[in-house]
Amino acid sequence: MSSKTAKPVMHSAAWRISLWATLAYACGTMLVFLSLHQFVENDIQRRSDAWLAGEVEVLGDVAARTPKDALYGTVVGEVAELASKEVPNKMRSESSANDSVFFLQVGSDGGTRLWAGRGRVEPYLAAIRKIVIIPDHPSDLQVEGLQIPFRVAALRMGDGSRIYLGLSERDQLRVLRNLNLRFFFVWALLVLLGFAIVFYTTKRMLSYVREISEAASRIGHSEMNARVPTNVRNDEVGHLARTLNGMLDRIENSMHQLHTITDALAHDLRSPLTAIRGKLEMSLSAATHGEQAEPIVSAIDELDRLTEFLNASLDVAEARADALRLSRSEIDLDELLRVMIDLYEPSMSEKGLQVRLHSGGDISIDADAALIHRMIANLFDNELKHLPASCTVTLHLESRDGVAVLSLEDDGPGFAPEVSASLFERRVKGKDSSGHGLGLAFVDAVVRAHGGTVTATNREARGARIELTLPLVPARVM
Amino acid sequence: MRVLLVEDEHDIQAFLRRSLEEAGYQVDIASDGKTAERLAVETTHDILIVDLGLPDQDGISLILKLRKIGIDAPVLILSARRSVDDRVRGLEQGGDDYLTKPFALAELLARLRNLLKRNSPQSNETTKIKVLDLELDLLRREAIRSGEPLQLTPQEFVLLEYLCRNAGRVVTRSMILEQVWGMRIQPDTNVVDVHIYRLRGKVDGKGQHPMIRTLRGVGYVLKDR
Repeated sequence: MSSKTAKPVMHSAAWRISLWATLAYACGTMLVFLSLHQFVENDIQRRSDAWLAGEVEVLGDVAARTPKDALYGTVVGEVAELASKEVPNKMRSESSANDSVFFLQVGSDGGTRLWAGRGRVEPYLAAIRKIVIIPDHPSDLQVEGLQIPFRVAALRMGDGSRIYLGLSERDQLRVLRNLNLRFFFVWALLVLLGFAIVFYTTKRMLSYVREISEAASRIGHSEMNARVPTNVRNDEVGHLARTLNGMLDRIENSMHQLHTITDALAHDLRSPLTAIRGKLEMSLSAATHGEQAEPIVSAIDELDRLTEFLNASLDVAEARADALRLSRSEIDLDELLRVMIDLYEPSMSEKGLQVRLHSGGDISIDADAALIHRMIANLFDNELKHLPASCTVTLHLESRDGVAVLSLEDDGPGFAPEVSASLFERRVKGKDSSGHGLGLAFVDAVVRAHGGTVTATNREARGARIELTLPLVPARVM
Repeated sequence: MRVLLVEDEHDIQAFLRRSLEEAGYQVDIASDGKTAERLAVETTHDILIVDLGLPDQDGISLILKLRKIGIDAPVLILSARRSVDDRVRGLEQGGDDYLTKPFALAELLARLRNLLKRNSPQSNETTKIKVLDLELDLLRREAIRSGEPLQLTPQEFVLLEYLCRNAGRVVTRSMILEQVWGMRIQPDTNVVDVHIYRLRGKVDGKGQHPMIRTLRGVGYVLKDR
């Protein structure tokens, strides 16, 4: 379980959901900020345009009234200088020189009548000639050699000359840049905060979902009485958990009934069997002659076979209903196979059979020892009963993709065609078989109860092949 | 040795009483949990045989109840269930044993003996076993019959050791499978017989008095007389 929780957070559903939610959120807030920015920009523009229109009016008035003598330039220049002190959005400039405003009067002949501004007049003049400025509608003016454009308002005088008042957009841009920077920081903070909140809440909710699914996957494999955790909230996930638990209650109930039935059946059959066997044994010890003992001995043998058949059929029935009770412990399959081969080898060589094991070393499974022992013994019994002399049984044991793979191959006659389609069904056996037909059904039942698979095929060359997989002990799955 | 048999089936009661008495036990019988509690308190028993399916209560609850009131004699549990549930496993770890029905009498007796032996202090760990002219050195893993060393595989030695430890008593195939191979299985082939047959070929050589006897329908016995 720890290996599951250790998987990188980027692969979690919470991460994906948070990413998408944050993306949508970021786009939304970005749109809001953009429109806000647009609004502020327009407003600043409007204010400076209004200021320009007003000032150019005042300057035009002053220019018209001031006598055109030597003092004209000084007076109008002074007025322009004063106006520049009242520029909107004005930032404190390091230099006292007025570089944010210019005043230009151009005569009707196109010559400069008055220039109050920073630097030489020619570039400004050249730039103004290139554009048409309609009175009352200030326009942008890009002066060559200067990075920041001016906003310029124009006025036509009675004497045919024009006056231009220019306001540098520097301060306006600076305000906007400051605003942008602040917007960006607030936006980034909001997006991060949004991501964190969404990620935290979805992660919490999904970790609860994961708890439910982990609990649910444990149930049925080992502990039927376990339930998924429920929370106090009455939300969808809490509802899911409660629904799941209700379903488990019903499953456990019907499984319990099945156990009651099979246990009662087993009990009702076993008690008389025990009594019969006991009586047979008593009379066997009393029987002195071989002729008297013989029928008793064979009756005991038959009884034992009947018992084993009863056990296997009930196990198969329960396993088919997914209700086989497992009492799990760690089993080393390699060791188990060696013990089994040790047990079966004399009988096999007596019959002229050979057995070989190719094992990939220690392979441990978490399984019910009694059932696994009986299942493997079943496989060996099967080979022992059905193979003709001088055949070889080859076992391969390896671990592959988190499961133990055990295959049994022989070079005997293989499965009879009439049974090969339904090998794992109950009571299916070949024409000449002497068994009770439960062997492979039992193998299949046990393997499936442990979450494994079985396949039985005829080999291409000759003989039969049974391959079964069983999940490894979780800690070894790496 | 006094044994308390708690079993409700009369047929089983009857033959168990007879065979236990034949084996030299004094037998008290209870057909339900109530009687069992009364008898257990009245008399001290060396060992208890408890069937899990009693009419008035669950056998395990009875055992736990008896344990609570201070009765600590070992218990052999008889179960008609196929799978051993965890509570039985718990008791097994606590020193008790279980047997599923139907069982061989020899196995029942052997398990009773084991339980009694387990609860009496073990005097000294033997390193040599001698049965008639058969000698086993458990440390050197060597077996000698009439002065002649026997060529045994390690598994055959373990099998012979088990027979020797139970010399004179019947051992069944399932007992051999459990004790020698560590598995509670019931193969429907003659795997154990072949092992015994091979062992007999080595132990009971030509001209020697045969020691390993087959009791058909029951099991085997290593003769000590």
